[in-house]
Amino acid sequence: MFPYGEASWSVVDGAMFMGWGGALPGMATFIAAVICVAVLVIGQRSETEKAKKFDK
Amino acid sequence: MFHFVQRRRPHTTAYICPLATGERNVEEQIAELTAQIAALQGSSATTNRMFAETFYYLTIPLMIIIHAGFLAYEMGSSRLKNVLSSGVKNLLAFAFMIPTFYFFGWWIYWGFPTGLTFSEGPAGISGAAYASSIALGWGDAAQYMGPNIADQASGVFFGAFALFAATTASIMSGAVIERIQTVGFIILAVVLGSFAWVVAAAWGWHADGWLVTKFGVHDFGAAGLVHAVAGFFALGVLINLGPRIGKFNADGSANHIPGHNMPLTVVGLMLIIVGFWGFLMACVIVPGEAWSWFGDKASTIYGTPITLSSLSFNILMAVAGGIIGAWLFTRDPFWMMSGALAGIISTASGLDIYFPALAFIIAFSAGIILKPCADWLERRGIDDAVGAVTVHGTIGLYGVVMLGIWGSGFPALQGAAGEVPTINLMGQIIGAVVFFLLGFVPGYVVSYILKMFGMLRIRKGAELAGMDLVKVPAAGYPEWGADAPVTPAE
Repeated sequence: MFPYGEASWSVVDGAMFMGWGGALPGMATFIAAVICVAVLVIGQRSETEKAKKFDK
Repeated sequence: MFHFVQRRRPHTTAYICPLATGERNVEEQIAELTAQIAALQGSSATTNRMFAETFYYLTIPLMIIIHAGFLAYEMGSSRLKNVLSSGVKNLLAFAFMIPTFYFFGWWIYWGFPTGLTFSEGPAGISGAAYASSIALGWGDAAQYMGPNIADQASGVFFGAFALFAATTASIMSGAVIERIQTVGFIILAVVLGSFAWVVAAAWGWHADGWLVTKFGVHDFGAAGLVHAVAGFFALGVLINLGPRIGKFNADGSANHIPGHNMPLTVVGLMLIIVGFWGFLMACVIVPGEAWSWFGDKASTIYGTPITLSSLSFNILMAVAGGIIGAWLFTRDPFWMMSGALAGIISTASGLDIYFPALAFIIAFSAGIILKPCADWLERRGIDDAVGAVTVHGTIGLYGVVMLGIWGSGFPALQGAAGEVPTINLMGQIIGAVVFFLLGFVPGYVVSYILKMFGMLRIRKGAELAGMDLVKVPAAGYPEWGADAPVTPAE
């Protein structure tokens, strides 16, 4: 949703991204951080499993 | 003036008395000129603002060339069985550094300058409250962390600093190739790139930084706060990580484990040199903006004057001095290009004020001591695969201290004589010690914890088989197959 009262670029005088003034930036930041952590957890598990196959 | 006005507007004089006409025309002329001056000022301000934005924007792709260089250099320094996994590790370090620096690294830079009090410093651009108002991805601060028509500075500054962060992680990356686990490495990279060096930058590379305001520490090109922190962080990790299998013999003597592609390594090092022009360019504060130190001249991050010409003189002389110094005793292109890096790093703290010939001499000396320092470390059982601890750590501290010897008495900050600290040897030594600790301690502690949880080193069987088989569903040189040459250390 356009973060200003009327849908015109002429009224834009500051932040102009989606969600400005609402909860979206914070939620997106949190989800992005969770993705980074989740990828590390998944990556660690899969790499460990594969590495074990080379144990003698 | 009257005649001039009358000549320009003859049609108005036919019906109005000349004196009244002249007064009105003069007023009109003044109003017109005032409007023109205002328009010119506005146009000039727009040009300056766009120049400033473009200046930092262009440092970002230049610094990405550093990463192209590190990528080539690390892959070239790896044996054939590990070439792609080294590349993957390097790419992931870069990729994780950007979001983590966005999440909290940028906040740390603005929040930490006055130390652990998180209070506002004398320049008024530091402390927890200030950081929380400009550097968080939520709430009101988010306006400075995303597209904003009224803010053409935050994004390019963030980008440049994020690339500094990624550089620190890449410095550590090369030292640990061929035996580290991917996720363990990424965690270490994040601790280094989005925390350890950022604290060092807040303390020693910020107008409110306590190392600067109390001790006069000057480290213009980040010899200590980027290179030494990253180099000694790598040393802390290497102690817990241990050497590659086959690196050391039972009697403690070391084997040389050559990478699979020396030309790739040397070209990678040259690319790092190219990227450093962007890195050092990004250390300059351009004039004329609300956040600039001066209206008419560039400055360092400390508000002391600098020109890009200074950088041009001194970087070139330092690169040359480092290469020549390393060639004298090694004759080895790997060490010659490492010497070029050492040349820049050894002079980085004072690239703004060194005389070019002096920069050459210091860089030459760094090139000479480089290999003996790396050999000394190796004799102590440290397997630094690319010499990162020496090139960045040891030479970084050497550079910080060298400036204390040669640059004593230069004002360390913008301000009146007697009111601002001056560069001094003791201050630079204190800075060097702090930078060493900010690198080594977190590197050692976090890698020790990772080791306890079995997340640091790859399993022995996988290391012997080759990390590409474990980590990468592709082959670096598929046509070579099982006929690939092996080194004695395998």
